[in-house]
Amino acid sequence: MVPESCPVPTLPGVVGERMQQIVVNGIVAAAVYVVAGFGFGLIYRTATFFHIAQAAIIAVGAYGTYWLCVGIGFPLPVAVLLSVVFSAIVGACADQAIFRPLRRRGASPLVLLLASLGLYVVLTNLLSMAFGDSIKTIAWGRVEEGWRVFGARITTVQAMTIAIIALLAVLSAIAFRSTKIGITLRAVADDPELAGISGIEVDRVVLVASAVGSGLSGLAGILLALDLGMTPMMGLNVLLMGVVAFIIGGGLKDMTGLVAGGLFLGLSQHLAGWLIGPQWQYAMAFVVLIVLLLLRPKGMWLSQSHGSLA
Amino acid sequence: MEYALHILMMVCIYVALGASLNLVAGYAGSPSLAHAAFYGLGAYVAGLMSLRLGSPFMLNLLCAVGFSAVLGAIVRALTMRIRGDHFIVVTLAFQVVVFSILYNWVSFTGGPMGLSAIPEPTVFGWLVSSHADFLLLGLVYCVLTLWVCRRIANSPFGRVLKAIREDEVLASAAGKDVAMHHVLIFMISAGIAAGAGVLFAHYMCFVDATSFTEMESIFIISIVIIGGGGSSWGPVVGALVLVGLPELFRFLGMPTSVAANVRQMLYGGLLIVFMLWRPQGLLGEYAFGGTRDSR
Repeated sequence: MVPESCPVPTLPGVVGERMQQIVVNGIVAAAVYVVAGFGFGLIYRTATFFHIAQAAIIAVGAYGTYWLCVGIGFPLPVAVLLSVVFSAIVGACADQAIFRPLRRRGASPLVLLLASLGLYVVLTNLLSMAFGDSIKTIAWGRVEEGWRVFGARITTVQAMTIAIIALLAVLSAIAFRSTKIGITLRAVADDPELAGISGIEVDRVVLVASAVGSGLSGLAGILLALDLGMTPMMGLNVLLMGVVAFIIGGGLKDMTGLVAGGLFLGLSQHLAGWLIGPQWQYAMAFVVLIVLLLLRPKGMWLSQSHGSLA
Repeated sequence: MEYALHILMMVCIYVALGASLNLVAGYAGSPSLAHAAFYGLGAYVAGLMSLRLGSPFMLNLLCAVGFSAVLGAIVRALTMRIRGDHFIVVTLAFQVVVFSILYNWVSFTGGPMGLSAIPEPTVFGWLVSSHADFLLLGLVYCVLTLWVCRRIANSPFGRVLKAIREDEVLASAAGKDVAMHHVLIFMISAGIAAGAGVLFAHYMCFVDATSFTEMESIFIISIVIIGGGGSSWGPVVGALVLVGLPELFRFLGMPTSVAANVRQMLYGGLLIVFMLWRPQGLLGEYAFGGTRDSR
């Protein structure tokens, strides 16, 4: 989308407004990446493997909401809540059925990753069989042109997305600092073996992390689906974007790093989309991922200081 | 009859893809999810050259293999410092970028429309046109690939690869250039995959980017894993099982509308099952770091 070829805006001040719209869209995208990155990071740090199947769970959340809301007719907030819970259950069941037995046998991270890859394929195809491959949207309320904020338009969904992230950031900061499960999670993330010796049931902590992480992945999928619609394959891009945000942000400490990473990614992606065309947005982000991993081959999160979920 | 020949042709292509990925994943021990990207690049180089330049098949094959091999060498050399499971993530990202370029660069690759009317190849004056002709060509390529892979596996070079797979530090302490071995084998592997892509493009007369998605990469790595990583016959068994079984389901009356999904669920499910109970695959010797029991 080169600005010159756009037919409508020739009025003065439009370029400034478009820049504001890019910023708003970038922030909304960032919010989704932060949720996905947080869910991924929670599992990555406790279970210590790259859980690609989270990409499918992102889509599970979206389609769960679609089915409950459009198929059965539940009110949207109820459908969203139930789908988040359902995503969490799917993640927990997968951990119990596949990853816990593998951990018990001392499987390498590579074996866990390949098993997760298999799960991704199975779940994605189940969704594709049940709902088809075409884009589905959840139409709710009347179509609105959105509120005007600093000259940009923002829809209710987008505003809610940002509000949910803010709430989540505060809640998680409290949980990690002062609840028992938050502290044990940090202990396991720091050193699973030592945590086990100290009497923490590592398997249970990983189970909780898988459930919460999958719930968050589901939520990321729902937020994206409400804004842009869904396909069974939607999750992989979102997950990898979340991973990029997670790497840039350097972990989960108090989510400020993650939020900063998400914002950097979201804004640069939408800026790139405006400059060289929206179809290149994702390719750009993956190039960023590759470059980041080249610069920090062990991943940024592993070289961070100990003692926190960073 | 043509249907059976078509299935056999696809088996040949996937044996070549599986055998070449096995070099990297099974022998050198660093699985990649970018194999469909190199396969696709081979197909597109051949398609574009024969459509735009009208160049002969053998030249297309040479250029496609060369292009993918050089690109593979560059990718592997750049990612040398990235170890273990992070390498898989980078190859997955590379795969998505290549797909995105093939799909979105409409003016050059045709984008979602793909490339159509790719001419039938002529190999040393022999016009390959019928299904049987193509199968013969596919068989030659497949057998050649298996022979090359076996030669590599049994050579001193192959033994060093296995040593690197088992213990990289030990191998480099013994004076072996680990990086050079990784780059070289990745280059060979990418080149062979591109050759399979050239065959595919000329055989189908049509290519589009959706044949070379990350799902295809997962399918190829499944062939390697289920057949058995680090076994020279593993990819043959893997390809026969994973290409053959879904066709069997079709005979049992499975509706075509769900055939693609069932095919993918089959290899996804098998991947989980094998990781749980037999990470070294049916014939393999390498279990991807394995479990405590299999080490």
